[in-house]
Parts: sequence; C-alpha cells; structure tokens
Amino acid sequence: MFRTFIFTVVALIALPLQAQEKLSVVRVNVTSQAWDFLRPWGKKQPQTKRAIGAVLEGGRVIVTGDLVANAAFVEFETPEGGTKVPASVEFVDYEANLAVLKCGDDAFLKDIPQLGMTESNIGDELTVWQLESNGRLLQTKGPMTTAEMMAYPVDGAFLIYRMTVQLQGRDSSFTLPVVRDGKLTGLLMAYDNATNNANIVPAPVIEHFLKDAADGKYDGFPRAGYGLSAMRDPALRRYAKVPADVTGGVFINFVQKDGPADRAGMKKGDVLVGVNDLAVDQDGNFPHPKYGKIPTGHIFSTMHFVGEKLEVHILRDGERKTLDLTLARKAPEDYVSDPYIIDKAPRFYILGGLVMQEISRQMLKEFGADWTRRAPERAVYIDRYQSELFENGPKKIVFLTRVLPTPATVGYEEITAVRVTKINGVELQSLNDVPTALEKPENGFHKIEFDESPRVIYLDAAQVGAVEQLVQQQYRLPTLKRLE
Amino acid sequence: MRGCVHFELPRCWIGLITVYFHIMSMHRPRLMKLSRLIIAALTVASAFAQQAEIRKSLARINNTAQEYNFRVPWLPGGVGGGSGTGWVVENGRLMTNAHVVSNARLLTVEKEGDPKKYVATVEHIAHDCDLAILKVEDKDFWKDSKPLPIGGVPEIETTVSVYGYPIGGDRLSVTRGVVSRIDFRTYSHSVMDSHLSIQIDAAINPGNSGGPVLQDGKVVGVAFQGFSGDVAQNVGYMIPTPVVKHFLKDVEDGKYDRYVDLSISTFPLQNPAHRKALGLPDDDRGVVVTEVGSASVCYEHLKVGDVLLKIDGMDIASDGLVELEGERVILAEVAERKFKGDVVTFDILRDGKPMQSKVEFHGPFPYTHQANSYAPARYVVHAGLLFQPLNRNLFATFQFQNPRVQYYYARFVDDELYKDRDETIVLTSLLPDPINTYLDEFREGIVKSVNGKPIRNIKELAAAFEEKTEQLLVEFEGIGRPLVLNTAEVEAARDRIRKRYNVQRESFLEDEAK
Repeated sequence: MFRTFIFTVVALIALPLQAQEKLSVVRVNVTSQAWDFLRPWGKKQPQTKRAIGAVLEGGRVIVTGDLVANAAFVEFETPEGGTKVPASVEFVDYEANLAVLKCGDDAFLKDIPQLGMTESNIGDELTVWQLESNGRLLQTKGPMTTAEMMAYPVDGAFLIYRMTVQLQGRDSSFTLPVVRDGKLTGLLMAYDNATNNANIVPAPVIEHFLKDAADGKYDGFPRAGYGLSAMRDPALRRYAKVPADVTGGVFINFVQKDGPADRAGMKKGDVLVGVNDLAVDQDGNFPHPKYGKIPTGHIFSTMHFVGEKLEVHILRDGERKTLDLTLARKAPEDYVSDPYIIDKAPRFYILGGLVMQEISRQMLKEFGADWTRRAPERAVYIDRYQSELFENGPKKIVFLTRVLPTPATVGYEEITAVRVTKINGVELQSLNDVPTALEKPENGFHKIEFDESPRVIYLDAAQVGAVEQLVQQQYRLPTLKRLE
Repeated sequence: MRGCVHFELPRCWIGLITVYFHIMSMHRPRLMKLSRLIIAALTVASAFAQQAEIRKSLARINNTAQEYNFRVPWLPGGVGGGSGTGWVVENGRLMTNAHVVSNARLLTVEKEGDPKKYVATVEHIAHDCDLAILKVEDKDFWKDSKPLPIGGVPEIETTVSVYGYPIGGDRLSVTRGVVSRIDFRTYSHSVMDSHLSIQIDAAINPGNSGGPVLQDGKVVGVAFQGFSGDVAQNVGYMIPTPVVKHFLKDVEDGKYDRYVDLSISTFPLQNPAHRKALGLPDDDRGVVVTEVGSASVCYEHLKVGDVLLKIDGMDIASDGLVELEGERVILAEVAERKFKGDVVTFDILRDGKPMQSKVEFHGPFPYTHQANSYAPARYVVHAGLLFQPLNRNLFATFQFQNPRVQYYYARFVDDELYKDRDETIVLTSLLPDPINTYLDEFREGIVKSVNGKPIRNIKELAAAFEEKTEQLLVEFEGIGRPLVLNTAEVEAARDRIRKRYNVQRESFLEDEAK
C-alpha cells in the first residue's frame, strides 16, 4: 500500500518536468463577482473563469480585461497545475480589453522565460497556445486572415487580428496567447465554433497599453471626439464644396462638446481630409503600411497617446485649414450615462423605500442581450442620445428604478422607471445632491418631482426617518445608500 | 386573413390614460337566484319557438379580404378569406364585428334554409370597438327576419347562449355558458382601445365572431374574442350592450365618430403624506392629474396638479374609481358613455381652491398610430427612397431596430412629440439606383425638414418633393449630414426607377380608403 502511494507521487511530478522545457505562460484563475445593478445593494453569484496568461518582459502577465472584470480573487497556477499563488491586477483597460497582472511571490515567476512581442502581417501563420491538463502545450496553427477595426466587448472600436483556426475544447481557455516565431502577437478574445474565426487583441493594441502603463500612470486610449459620414455621394461632395481635385475626405456629422476635436475648432459640416501626413479617403480610412485600409480612429486611439498633438487637415467651405488637436480620453464616469461600470459598486439612495439610481448602460444591460428592447424605452433613449439631450447638464440622470413597499410609500408601489428631476425644489445634478436636498423638507414633507407622471409625490420627512431601520431590516439591505 | 375570433396573447396594456391601479372586476349583486330558476322553467316551452325565430335573424358572413402591403405599398396585398356571423338589427341592417368585415373586397351573406348568397356592403365600421353594420340591398334577404331585441348587462353566474357559425360550418351552432366576469379589457382588433367586456365560459371559436349572445330572447352581447387553447380554456369574450348601443347611437347621424376619451393621466391619492401635503382631508377622495397633453380634450381645462374630486357630480375615490349605476368603475368608463359634443363636468381643487371645470368632447383623440390600421398604406417614393408614416402595421412589418424609431413609436403621445409633427415619417427602404447608392445611412431615419421647412406629415413631404428647386436638402432627426438630391438628376432617374421596380404609383396620401 505504502509503496504504491510513493510511486504515484513521483510519477506525477516527474513526467511534466521531463516532457518539455519551461513555458512562458501561467494559468490564471479568476473568481469574479459583479454588482447587481437592478439590486444595487448586492452582488451577483461569484463565477470562476480559467485562462492562460502570457509572461512578458519584466515578469508582467498579460490577459484580457474581460477575464478580470469585477475580480474578487485572482491566482496564478503553474501550467502543470498544483502550485498556486495569489495575484492581483496591476493595470487594466476594459475598453482595450487588456490587463496586466502581478503576484507578490517573486519566486513564482522567476524561472519562467519571458516572451517578446511582435506584430504580424496578413497571411502569416499564427499559433494559438492551449494547455493540456498535464501542463503539456497544445499548439494549433492557422493563418491570419485580416486586420480591421471592430467593436470591442465593452465600448469603442479598436484594431483586431482575425485568424482561421480549428481550436480544441480545453479547460482554461478564457484568454489564450497567440504566438508567431516564439513571440506574442496577440490575445485571443473571441472564437466562433461554427466559422472557426478567432478575434485577437493584436500586438499594436497591447504595445500601446504597455507603453502607456510604463510610467506607472495609465492614461488610456485617446479619442478625437467626432462622428463622420462617408463621402462617396457626389451630391454631398458638391453640397460641402469639396474641390474636384480632392478625391478623399469624409463629412464630419457630429463633434462631441469639449472633446479634442471641438477644442481644436472642428465643426459639424467640415470635411476631414488628412491627419498628420496620412490622407483620409472617402470612407474615412487611411492607408496603413501593414494592414491596408484602416479607419482613421486607429490613428487617434492606438498610433498616438493622450496629450500628443496632431495636425488635422480639413476643408471648410472648400477652403483648406489645419487644426491642432490635442488627444484626450473621456472617462466612462464623465458621460451622463456611463458606458460601463466595472469593479465599482453601483451608486444608489433609498429614501423611505424609493430606490433612486443613476442611469448607466451597465444598468440597462442587466435586461439581457436585447436590452435595447427590454429595458425602459425612456432610459434606453436617454443613454443612446445623451450627447444631443444633455449638452448643458445635468451630470447624471437620477432615476427612480423601483419602490420597496414600506409604510411611507403606501400608494406609490407601482411607480417605476421615471426620472427624478428635483427634491425639495433642488434640481438634481447627480445622486450626490440628494442628501443636501433632503436637509430642507417643506412643511415637514419631502417633495419629489419627476418629469412625467406621477409628476410630484410627497413623503413625510419624520416618517422616512422612522422607517429607515425597518426598511433595512425587512429587505435585508446592508446599507440604504452608496454615493462614493 | 386571420381567423375570425381574435386570439389575443396575454399582454399588459398601456393606454392613453396611464392606469396605475389595476383593472378591477365589477361585482354585481347576486339577485334572488332561486326565483330566476323558476321563471326559466316556466319559459322553457316558448324558448323552442323563440329559437326558430332567432335562426331567421342570423346570417353567415363570408369575407374575401385583401390586406394592404406595407413593405411594397404600391403592390396589392395577399387575398384571403374568412367567415363570421351577423344578426339583424333595426332598420334592415346586419350587425357583426369589425374584424369580420375588415379589408373586405367582397362580402356575401347566407341564411339557413336559403340557398342564395346575397351581396352585402359595409355601412359603418368601428375599429375601436370592433363593431360593424352591413347593408344588404336584396329585399329577399329580409323576408321573415326580424330585428333581435337588445337587452341589458347580464348578471354574473347567469346562463347565456351563443349563436353563430364557428369554424366555418354551414349550420347554425349554439353553445351555452355562464357569465364569468365583467371588466374593462383591451379589444384586440385595434389593440389600443379598451372597453367594457364580458367573459363567458361558453365555447367561442373563429366564425362565432359577430354572433349574438342571448339571454331570455334578448341580445346581451356580441361574441368577439378569446384566447388560443394554450393560454386559457373556456374563456370567451363578448361585447356588452352598452358598447353596442353606444355604437348604434353614434352612427344615428349617418357617420361614425369614434369613442371620445379624456386622454389624461391621473395618479391615485392613497398616500397619507401625499394627501396631507396637498391639504386634503382623510376622506379617501380625489386623484391628481399628472399628464394633460396639448392633444387632450382636457387641455387648458385641467392642469397637471389639479385634484379631481367629482366627475359629473359623482365622487371620485382616491383609487380613481367612480360609483356609476351601482358599480365601481374607472374614471374612463364615465367618458366611455359620452359622445362627440357632450360635456363632462369636474369638481376640482386647483392650488387648494375648489372650482368646476367643464370639458367638451370636441372629438376623438387624434393620434392612433399604435392601433392596428385597416386603411391603405400611405407613402411617397422619391429618388427610389420610400418614405412612410409610422404606425403599428409599419412597425410590425419592418421590425425597426433603430432606438430612435422605437422611441418615437412608443413615446409619441406621452412626450408630446406631436408638437413638432402630426406623424413620424420614416425612410423605410431604398430601391437601389445610382441616384441613391450612397444614401444607405438614412435607412430608418426620421424626416425632420426639407430645404429648412419642417415636415409635419406625409402630405407635406410629398408637396415638398414636388417643389422644383434646384436641389433638395432633406434633414433627418439626429443625423448630422443632410440628404442632398439634385432635382434634375431625380427627374432623370424617375422613369428608370418606376420601370425597374414596377412602381405603379409614386405616392398614396389619403387617410382613408376611397
């Protein structure tokens, strides 16, 4: 009995060591727990995802941002399994879908060889790395078919590499390194079983992310802040007075207020013809030396950094002009309706049973994949068209999302999904104004105003105070407000 | 053509009057059940004779219908058929459901024991309460048939008989059931309108539609809708006589005016703090007005914040119910019984001061885009671009994905989008041609203006397209570039597009079928 046991243990440890040289990867196990934006006081069920992180120079482990979203616990594990150490997120960019992880245990990563980075060209053969359960490397090859701009999972469009590859189903496959000539060329973020197409966060995006983070302060991917229409329509070219000898150019149909383009003096109706020494064609693409036609957004977001100055060439009423544009990034919290809220608890305020929250796309997405049809249409409209609706404020839209029945809210139970505009006469810029507004009840009543039916309701200020404890106990709420 | 009973899915109904309280059932006093039984036994003998009479007053209606084509509006829609039941009312007319005779191209009626098929025509059709009146010119049709007398509202738990031609059959069928409940319910023919309706447990099937439901020899309702078998069993609905009589009275002047309503939203005043803050006593009376759109008949008579205490002298309870002829009914029910030109009087509190406000129902609510349409599809084709006003049929046909179109459809009334336009005009499709090759980003766009002039309806758009300016600049809501059309190029493309896509007619602008 005793002899057999010893034998087994030896075999398990010995086999992988003999089988292959050290790999430049670690297993990454993440237990994430997202906040529930429809019950903002609590979190949803924890979920565990397993992935493979690539070890880069300086012992940085890179994975997709998606993997570590709302992470409660991150750990590294050796490829062959067994040894595990706690790890943490050093930098993350959910828009670019990238994260750098580190672990406190220097010894763990010490012997692991570090990967270099390389860009790839269309037609190159790329290799996707997966791990067998015994730690053996499973390599699957396929051609890179295209490089293009595509919407990333959370917000915004960035460059991707696409390859065709027949992947096997394996454990730990949430993020997979994609390698060429022994160097990392991207991270696989989405794979379609039916078409065998894999979408890859490519080296240029990863390098931008790492370079940005190198000074210890992460700024993110900048944007120019405009919208464009293609300009192939001859009638539109005549209307915009584009001279006949100009072949390219796109029509600027939107300029975000206070964005980089706005500050540079760009106006709706301008025709964008070039950025620095790159010409912009009629579809809004520029000729990329490696990838061919790529949308101009790539120049601003990935070829340059926050704070850099670019020359933007435009035609206004047929006259050439050059604008100096300084790149900046608009953080999600600077939008009226945050495009995403990750790693942060939802803000809310429960007043006597009235649950008030701020509209965010994160909240609307709780209604499922077809949230644009299932979420309250007013909130969807506010989120979608915020840039045209709220140029002059408010900062956030306070929404009464539901009413928890309490003695103070009798008769108000059916109110849902209405915008709160004022409390006790104070116009709300965000939830932060609620406590101040509540300091001044009128004749002992809190007056709550909406911009649609039921328009105005009242709560007895003394009663609200009296039921607070009851609400918290009966509905088992850990807290009645969160404003940080 | 769909089957003649409308099978409705259980769905939440949101109407013009935002009802925060749920639709209530109405409890009628249960009157001396025993004595009623005795009377029933005594009348059994005469009932057989009566039934023979009833048969002569019934007809099977065959409808050859053609729906309108909303995707390619210049083409005719598919032709289908269906059948239902009709019954004789005063002045030599047949009554049936609107949905039995909607979109009719040819109507024929048959009577039991008479081999002849008679041609019928629609005299009046009321899509909002699913009733219609037919004329039959041939005098032979009317011999022997007597109008059926119209009774009142039957009591709960009493028995009624449903007469009709369910699932097509040639012979009259009679089923019997009990009155289960009486409540306010969506009429699925229009989807947007709700009226009183009576639930019975007699089988009502396609083909029963329009048939009379009788009690003691009198019509107490018109069979009209049910649920499909997988939703509910033994549930059928009939239109009760207050609605039938309302329709008959409305058409007395020779035309149908539609139901009038208050078109306001109110909120119950049940919260003690709410009542105290408004200075109201603790007497469970009054509701507060929360929406009065400028299209409402109450506009400028009632204001947001007014507390409604009485309607036509009847107290309004804090849950919005009014006691009417011994029943507790919703506020809307009082308006239901009115006609165009009638007046309703409110006792209100405005800023704490009691006053009276008289509201005249000058006409029905004008914005009915969320109701099923039985009128031809209106449209304009210009430069191969198809523009159509947004209504329920268009929405169902194109399944718009654009959130702005969804918003305009859902909130046109609530957010008073009608202040800027009479209807929402959408560019629904493009007939590909060199003139519109690069205009695809305008698909599902909502027209705002042409050459700077705001466009309120499809007629204005068609007129703007006819103006022979050198170029047309069409602006769309929320799209930051104009659609630019050179008039000479459009004219040059016109015949080409007409021929290539067989566009028989470049526009149809009339509101009603002519």
